[in-house]
Amino acid sequence: MKSDFSFQSVKTLFKLDLKSRFGTTQKIGVKNRLMQVSNYLFFAVVYAVLILGIVYLSKIFINKANLEIGFLTLSTMVTMLLATAISTGTVIKNLYMNGDNELLLRFPVSGTEVLVSKSIYCYIHNLVVCFATMLPFYITFGVETHAPVGDYFSYIAVILFSSLLPYFVANIIAVPVMKVMNYVKNQFLLVLIFTIAAVCGAFVLYMSALSSIVDYLTEANKNIFSAEVIEVYQHFADNAYPFNFYAYLINGKRYADMSSGQMALNFLYLLLINGGLGALAFFITTKAYYRTILYGIETEKTSFKKKVRNRKRNVFHAILHKEFFLILRSFNYSFQYLAMACAAPFMVFFCSRLAVSMGTKSIGATIMPGLMLMIIIIFVTIIVSFASTSISREGNCFYLTKVIPVSYTKQVLTKFFLYSIVAIVSVAVCCAVTGGYYTQPDEEGISVLSKTDVLSIFGISEMVVMALTCLSMWADIKMPTFNVAGDGELVKANKNVALSMIVGMVVAVAYGVFAMVFSLLPFNIGEWHIVRMNNVSDIYVALSVVSAVLLAASATLMFVKLNKRYQNIAP
Amino acid sequence: MLTVKDLVKKYPKSERIAVDHISFELKPGEIFGFLGQNGAGKSTTIKCLTGILPYDSGTIEICGYDMKTEPIKAKMNMGYVPDNHSVYEKLTGREYVNYVADLYKVSSADRTERMDKFAKLFRLEFAMDRQIKSYSHGMKQKICVIAALIHDPKLWVLDEPMMGLDPQSTAEIIAFMREHCAKGNTVFFSSHNLDLVKKLCHRAAIVNDGHLIDILDLAGNEENKQKLEEIFFKATGTYDARLFEDYASQESADVRPELPVEDNASNSDEKVEEEK
Repeated sequence: MKSDFSFQSVKTLFKLDLKSRFGTTQKIGVKNRLMQVSNYLFFAVVYAVLILGIVYLSKIFINKANLEIGFLTLSTMVTMLLATAISTGTVIKNLYMNGDNELLLRFPVSGTEVLVSKSIYCYIHNLVVCFATMLPFYITFGVETHAPVGDYFSYIAVILFSSLLPYFVANIIAVPVMKVMNYVKNQFLLVLIFTIAAVCGAFVLYMSALSSIVDYLTEANKNIFSAEVIEVYQHFADNAYPFNFYAYLINGKRYADMSSGQMALNFLYLLLINGGLGALAFFITTKAYYRTILYGIETEKTSFKKKVRNRKRNVFHAILHKEFFLILRSFNYSFQYLAMACAAPFMVFFCSRLAVSMGTKSIGATIMPGLMLMIIIIFVTIIVSFASTSISREGNCFYLTKVIPVSYTKQVLTKFFLYSIVAIVSVAVCCAVTGGYYTQPDEEGISVLSKTDVLSIFGISEMVVMALTCLSMWADIKMPTFNVAGDGELVKANKNVALSMIVGMVVAVAYGVFAMVFSLLPFNIGEWHIVRMNNVSDIYVALSVVSAVLLAASATLMFVKLNKRYQNIAP
Repeated sequence: MLTVKDLVKKYPKSERIAVDHISFELKPGEIFGFLGQNGAGKSTTIKCLTGILPYDSGTIEICGYDMKTEPIKAKMNMGYVPDNHSVYEKLTGREYVNYVADLYKVSSADRTERMDKFAKLFRLEFAMDRQIKSYSHGMKQKICVIAALIHDPKLWVLDEPMMGLDPQSTAEIIAFMREHCAKGNTVFFSSHNLDLVKKLCHRAAIVNDGHLIDILDLAGNEENKQKLEEIFFKATGTYDARLFEDYASQESADVRPELPVEDNASNSDEKVEEEK
């Protein structure tokens, strides 16, 4: 490593970085090109939907609630917080965790040059995020308030200026986050417990807050745009420092009757805040960068020691044991699977509680079983989607599954057992907790759910869990995506994960809507009729039959000709 | 021990036949070398006979069990060491070997005895309880070897086994190959090291462009041993008299290039110039 600094090296490194991210020297086929174009189109559609949502929400807040400067403050706050979260992830991933650090250290470039080139990328990424999220809010605001042309230029200037703060904060946060990550590198169980607690805690807090808002609005018979509620928004916006200063910069004179002196003073405050945080970020990053990445490289291979007895296990137990420890000893996998499976009952319970308080009051308690079924399947889909990488996760070691004297069917069955059993237990706990709570009669002696409801939901959900697990594994056996670089861990979700998520969501919505709609409406098919909630068993029978057919079909799909399909997998 | 008859393998979406009607038979107690250039079809053949890759036609029998009809029994008699030394890196060495031993149904007493023996032999005792992630290239190769031998296989297949190993471990593996064969077992390994094959193998096959060119008897045929390099170069179509002579002379002659003679006088002159 040389110690001097050259802008030419920074430029070269930055170009190299961009090329490795976006440039491709290989010619791609028509199929892949189409896939690429459809990915871009999908992204464009998602962004367009997001903008429509922003425009719709903004119009309501500006016209209905008459929140002008308050709206600007709130939207600036939300987008800046979002940008900070995204930027922190980008900085950690690119500056500290990127695998090219070791490679770059071998080149005749200094640590400062590497840092600067990577920081430029991180900042540009942050700037794009700021523009993509803030601009739709600001433009809608301008259009709705008939803002003068000059304001549109000030939007751009304010976005440029406000993009600095999230970036500085992200750089300050990144170093302690990395230190903690290095510290807990091999504390798998501790990390899992902490992750479960964090996921559950955050979800409970979020749902409790949402529930309180809903309760407040319902009990006080207020809607979210009543005069008192709007006053709360305005009061909050007035005190949302320093985000309100950014809003005042746009046109404080017009929207907040501010004098030029006051606006200049706000600008000065922002300059000081940005300057202070920028200096702190610079100091921390330049001091810590080289040391942190060097520590990361040096301790990359540090591992734990564990003494185990040479104990004989049967084949099923051995594969199960190995599979479980490979999941537990990976942050990504244990979060995606074990943490989500443990947190699912909390999530289902709190979601159901909110849904009950909203749904039963507006529509009636009759929709509750359908709602609970939908919520359970949605959360279980997240857990089950992990099974769609069951073969891909073998990575470089896939050859071993072919060499060992264990039939492919037995290997796949063992994996199926592991993935379905965790989801089955999770569903059982979800039903026990939520069912136990809602089968208790209230003061009037009426309970939201009956024992039949809970048992039926349990049975249907379990069949869906197994069917989705089969489908996920079938998709992965059909087209696995092996990561043969590094330790072979699959960090990015592959297309099979997306497919199993989509199928799961579709099933959840279809089942939920079916149960909710037909619990309200009498429905006849010829002589056979599905009737209202006082005789819901017909709905459960119908869904059970559909689930059984789905399970049988997916199991057939997975196990028929399994040996041949597995044998044909060639990584 | 191992019978390969008319083996044909063609990769999907490829015009080329990777293995074209290859046949050979390995006897008990034999060390068999498998030679060929890069891309000749060595690894593909090995992957077919270990069950990693499906093949288009032909038969593979291990200890009398057909790989297609009785794959479990066939695999039960075989130990395989891959060329890329891939192992489950999140497990410790002991956990990994125990996992493999479980799959081959090795008793606790046998696995303990063998694991201790091999760990000592390959000087891996200190690392057996450490996560494989922390292992060096050679250590991973050693743990692969231990895992492949834990069930005392009748057929031991190794794909370029000496790559990345230290001299002591190479010597230990060679010694163990001999010991394994002395018990009536068979060793089949691919290699680029002609010298090693010449010294160690009873027979060696040369493959080129998917075809089996020749099977040479090395144990009882001094001429084959002497001319292995020449035969190999000729069989693979890479024979060039000048290059071959160079290659052959490397064994006897000192082929180090001369070090440039340091000219102190001119060096000091240059330094003076630079200083100026």
